[in-house]
Amino acid sequence: MLGHRWFVRAFRLGMRPRAFALVLLFALLPFSQASAHCFVGPRFFPATLVIDDPCVADEMALPTVDWFKTGTVPSGNQWDISVEFDKRITEDLGFGISDVWTQIRTPGGPVAVGFGNLETTLQYQLLKDASHETAMLLGLIVDWGGTGNVNAGIGSSYSMLTPTYYFGQGLGGLPDDLGFARPLAITGQIGYQIPTTSYLVSQNTYIPQVLVYGASLQYSMPYLKSEVKDLQLPDFVNHLIPIVEMQLFTPVTNNFGNPSITTGTVNPGVIYVGSYYQIGLEAIIPVNGASGNGIGVLGQFHLYLDDMFPKTLGQPLIGGTPTTPAKPQ
Amino acid sequence: MRKLIVLSLLLIAFGTGAAQAHAFLDHASPSVGSTVRSAPHEVTLSFTLNIEAASSNVQVTDSSGARVDEGKAQISGKTMRIGLKALKPGTYRVRWHVLSVDAHNAEGSFSFTVSGS
Repeated sequence: MLGHRWFVRAFRLGMRPRAFALVLLFALLPFSQASAHCFVGPRFFPATLVIDDPCVADEMALPTVDWFKTGTVPSGNQWDISVEFDKRITEDLGFGISDVWTQIRTPGGPVAVGFGNLETTLQYQLLKDASHETAMLLGLIVDWGGTGNVNAGIGSSYSMLTPTYYFGQGLGGLPDDLGFARPLAITGQIGYQIPTTSYLVSQNTYIPQVLVYGASLQYSMPYLKSEVKDLQLPDFVNHLIPIVEMQLFTPVTNNFGNPSITTGTVNPGVIYVGSYYQIGLEAIIPVNGASGNGIGVLGQFHLYLDDMFPKTLGQPLIGGTPTTPAKPQ
Repeated sequence: MRKLIVLSLLLIAFGTGAAQAHAFLDHASPSVGSTVRSAPHEVTLSFTLNIEAASSNVQVTDSSGARVDEGKAQISGKTMRIGLKALKPGTYRVRWHVLSVDAHNAEGSFSFTVSGS
């Protein structure tokens, strides 16, 4: 995960030797027992495609690809290809970096192509309660102004900071009478996006502060098989997690002259969970005309670095702690 | 540049030792959530990976929380077994914890019912 993401970025930024050195460095890191990607007791929260999962982890989305028709008039075809790399610094502190390449073709207009702003995320794991299948996370997302293609309108000249709270809650604690509901889980996040500029002189536009929030509802077939009832379903089905995600953006302040409307998408789909990777496919359904036209599609290939490289890349950079196995009570 | 990318990816993929993953419960006997007519003499858990005997365990309790497992868990490769006392009709809970060979912890629990008829 780290390697590829850094390489993609590194080559673009002309830092090949540095990236290569990073890969070598992580290949030599020490080994200890790992607590894994987003496992909370028996619950596994997969990496969601639209919002973020509630755990720090060593993982890489490579790539995430989406297509949809924009909400502009006339509507354009937009393609996005993004990569994301997340690495634990300590057991509870994680760092992420991502970027996206975008192409927008608007009928009768120019083709806008380029990279978006570089995005980094610093996250701290507040809670992982195995007995209640609860996870909580705090994060600060920074969208670095001037690092994308500003001229094409894909990147912005200003930065944006989004302090964000994430949570995940499995419903495994439901009584046995509701056994088939126990594989359900809910995750969500809420953040407040603050631009570093409140007014863009060149475009005579106010830059609003925006509430960014979303949630997912997921049904874990692996959980059903191992915790509730083994229905002897085909192995492929036992690896699936049907999911509905939603992410919304609501301008809150400093929105003078802009339409004060919530935009966002609802994303039903499914995630296949393998041993070292997951593959997700979701539809993109805009919540209104300002959010897009028609139904788009979103796919992601995601690697669990802690499973792929438990002795090296899958370890926190600092203090990979030998965890004491929690024996059943 | 392309060669460097390929070289580096190969280094990541093959230069860091054998890759493993979390040990998931593959199947169990009695099976997860099942109802069996006659009382089983043992519980067998089969995982997707080899597990470490020293740090893996399983317990079986009845509806009052009393232990009904007997003896020490026997672990071999991907399989963990534990003997049971004579079970009466009722619902029993199996709680397991394993450490897979790549040092990943995993845990879970499930129920099975002895109908006795």
